[in-house]
This record gives sequence, C-alpha cells and structure tokens, in this order.
Amino acid sequence: MLSDSQVVLAFKEVWKKYSLHDVTYRSLREDIVRLFKGNGKKLKKGEFWALKNVTFKLFKGECLGLYGPNGAGKSTILKLIASVTYPTIGSVEVNGKVAPLIEVGAGFHPDLTGKENIFVNGTIIGLRIKEIKSRLEDIIAFSELGPFIDTPVKKYSSGMYLKLGMAIVLHSNADILLIDEILSVGDKDFQKKCVKALQGVTKEGKAVILVSHDMNLLRELTNRIIYIEKGEIVGEEY
Amino acid sequence: MIKRIWHYRDLLIIFAWREFIIRYRQSVIGIIWAIIQPLSMMLLFTFVFSIILQVDLSPIPYPLFFYAGALPWTFFSSSLYYAIPSLTNHYSLITKIYFPREILPLSYVVVALVDFLIASLCLVILIIFYRISITWNSIWFIPLMAILVIFTFSVTMFLSALNVYYRDVRAATGFLVQLWFFVSPVMYSIDKIDIKLKLVLFLNPLTFIIENMRRCILEGREVVWWQFILVTAIVLLLFLLSYRFFEYVEKSFADVI
Repeated sequence: MLSDSQVVLAFKEVWKKYSLHDVTYRSLREDIVRLFKGNGKKLKKGEFWALKNVTFKLFKGECLGLYGPNGAGKSTILKLIASVTYPTIGSVEVNGKVAPLIEVGAGFHPDLTGKENIFVNGTIIGLRIKEIKSRLEDIIAFSELGPFIDTPVKKYSSGMYLKLGMAIVLHSNADILLIDEILSVGDKDFQKKCVKALQGVTKEGKAVILVSHDMNLLRELTNRIIYIEKGEIVGEEY
Repeated sequence: MIKRIWHYRDLLIIFAWREFIIRYRQSVIGIIWAIIQPLSMMLLFTFVFSIILQVDLSPIPYPLFFYAGALPWTFFSSSLYYAIPSLTNHYSLITKIYFPREILPLSYVVVALVDFLIASLCLVILIIFYRISITWNSIWFIPLMAILVIFTFSVTMFLSALNVYYRDVRAATGFLVQLWFFVSPVMYSIDKIDIKLKLVLFLNPLTFIIENMRRCILEGREVVWWQFILVTAIVLLLFLLSYRFFEYVEKSFADVI
C-alpha cells in the first residue's frame, strides 16, 4: 500500500456550488447577507452542486483516469486541482506544481509563431524562460512541426495545434499533469507517441490525470479509473 | 505581493513581450505608432490654441508644452484602454490555469511604459530643437514617473477586476478616460487657475504628476517636497486598497467571468 508521503493530491469531502446565472442576476442584498453568514450547504434558486462530497487521493507516479458523461463534474475537478477555483466546502491539497494542458489552442495566440507560442505557453505552465530555451529543441522535435515552427499558428491545422500543445506540457517540470479530452484529435502515430511519453512521465514519479470519454484509451493508460456522474464518484476501477 | 510577482517575473516579461509583438506585427510603421498618438495630440492642440483660439496658455513654446503633457497622459489612457478588459479577454486562461492574475493588467501597463519611453525620444528632440536649457531639477521626472506607474497600476487593477463582474466598466472606459482628460492639465496649466479650483483639481493625482513633470523639465522648476510626499502617500494608499480588493475578488474570477 502506498504511504501518505507519496500523496501529491488529496480531495477531502469536496463540494462545489455553481450558479446558473450571471452575477447581475444576484441581488446585492443577498450577497451582503451571505458575506456575514458564510456559504452554507443550502442551495438557493438558480444554484446547483457541480461536485458532491468528492474524496480521493492521487499518488506519485500514478496515472488516474476520470470517466463520466458531459457535465458530470470532471472539468470542475481539474479546475480545483489547478487552483483556478476553490471548493465551497471541503479541501483540496496539492503537493507540487500543476501543469494543465489547456484546451487545444486556447493558450496560443494566433498571430505568434509556433516558437513564440512555446515561450508564452511554457511560462504560463510555470517554466522559466531559461528552461524553455534549453528544452526548445526537444519540444520542437516532439511536436513534429519542423519547418512550420516559425509560421504563425493561425495557419496551423487543429492537429498541429494539439501536437505543439502536447509537446510543451510533456516537457514541463510539473509534478501533476492534467490532460483533458485531448488525445483523440491527433493521428494514430502521434497518439502512440504521447502514450509512450506519458508512461515515461509517470515513471519519473510525476502524476497524471487524464479525462476522456474513450474507455479503451483510459484502460490502456491509467492505473485507476474513477467514474463520475452528476458530481459524485459512483465507482472506481483498478 | 512583490514576492508573488517576482516569482512569476518570467510570465510578466513574456506577456509584455507578446503584447508588444502582437501590437506591431502586420503593421507597416510598427513602433512609430507609439509616437503618433502623443504627436498628433500635440499637433492638434498647437493648431487649435495658436491659430484658432489664440489663447496665451504658457510662455513655453506650444509644441513642447502640449507634447510634455500628452506623453504621460497617453501612458495613462492607453494603459487603461488595454488593461481594463485584459482579464475578461483572457477568459480561457483564467478558467484553466493558476497564475497571479494581476500580471495581466500589469503587463499592459509595462507595454504602455515601453511605448512611453519610445515616445520620450521625440520630447528630447523637441527640447534640443527649442534649445531649452535642462537643469538638475529634471531628475524629478523619474520619481514622478514612478508614482504615475503605481497610480496607473492601481486604477487598472481595481477596474479590470470589477470588469470581471460587471461589464459596464468596459463600456464606461472610453467615457471615463475622456472625462478624466479634461480634469488633467494636458492642454492647460493650473498655474494661473484660482486657488480654490486648484484644490479641487488636485483631488486627481494626475494633476500633480503631469503638471510637475512639465515644470521640472521645461521650466527647471523644483517640486514642492511636502506636496510630493503627500501625493506619494495617497498613491501608495490607493495602491494598497486596490490590491487588497483585487486579492479578495480574484478567487472567484473563474466562477463569475
């Protein structure tokens, strides 16, 4: 059994409440009342639980799969891990640096070249400029973009976007990699390469969380799969 | 906070560098755009006040007088224009990944500062052309610029965060900047203004900053120490308040954006 010292991520009874409406829908009076009373477990009109009592741990070198229908709460879990949002109740503990693979192309600027975007995206996920410079050759080689690396990315195909994004994340020095619904875009060969690279990453002791609808891919890659439905963990498979 | 930004300094550099590249790529005259804005303002005012209105504003040659005012003003207004929507424009980053959010508005202030430095070259040329004698008091320009940067950063932090919640802020930006322009001494000097009105105008920190920048460089006048200390204290206090506010609301950015 793995010991607690190897835990890189722990969700403890996490509840996350979301509102279905914009802020302008809320009344200032309610907000002020809430400021004094604090956030309760009660739901108000127009609110729902995106996560309900979610508890799990992630260990070093582990590759965890998250599986569930759209809107089950998978992305919310990733956001909580990335400290982009915070739990309403409960706690999320992260030991180490997190590197999310931003949706295909989301972190890229269309007018910048592939190489320039490596610098932008790399620093966003926590690399130093120096580190990027020293890894630049490897990243470009992995992306298979070759001569297109100096072309503005607005001229890239979605496959090329993905390859570049994937290459950057796999060369990050984060302890936890978050990969959201992404491997399905690339061609078969590139997918295989990514799978291999991910296995290498977990061997180094990093942890990976993979979100996908593709059960076969998850079974092939992960040590453990968590099933999520309507914000709750409904099953686990080793 | 400085520690937090220092830790992410590479990101700040890259964001500013990216913005700088994007702004001037696929443009024919490139960074000359940085000079065009204050320059065209100066030309317009010189035309209006020396040919149409023929008002006696200042003993300083008008092109110099207006350019020296337009320079810090352009820095301030362009920071506001770009930085206020900066958080909402980076929706996809804010909902996916953590980094100190204040880096986004700050990077636009940095770019505006670079533009300002480029456009300053034009002021140097004008000074040489009009044979203005420079005194040691010009050094005041540097601390004045420092408080201008801090003040600008505070305003953009507060407004960009508010804009995440209420898009009204963005809609009001153009209007706000326009009004602010008229209460800042860009096309006039507060020298000859009645003392009561002067006190009202001094509620705007830009009044003190812009007026004194012009005085110290073009007229070789000294900045009054107690005024400088008072304004610096006010600007720092505003900065602290605005940063606290930012820190407080930042946690829910991803949920409400």
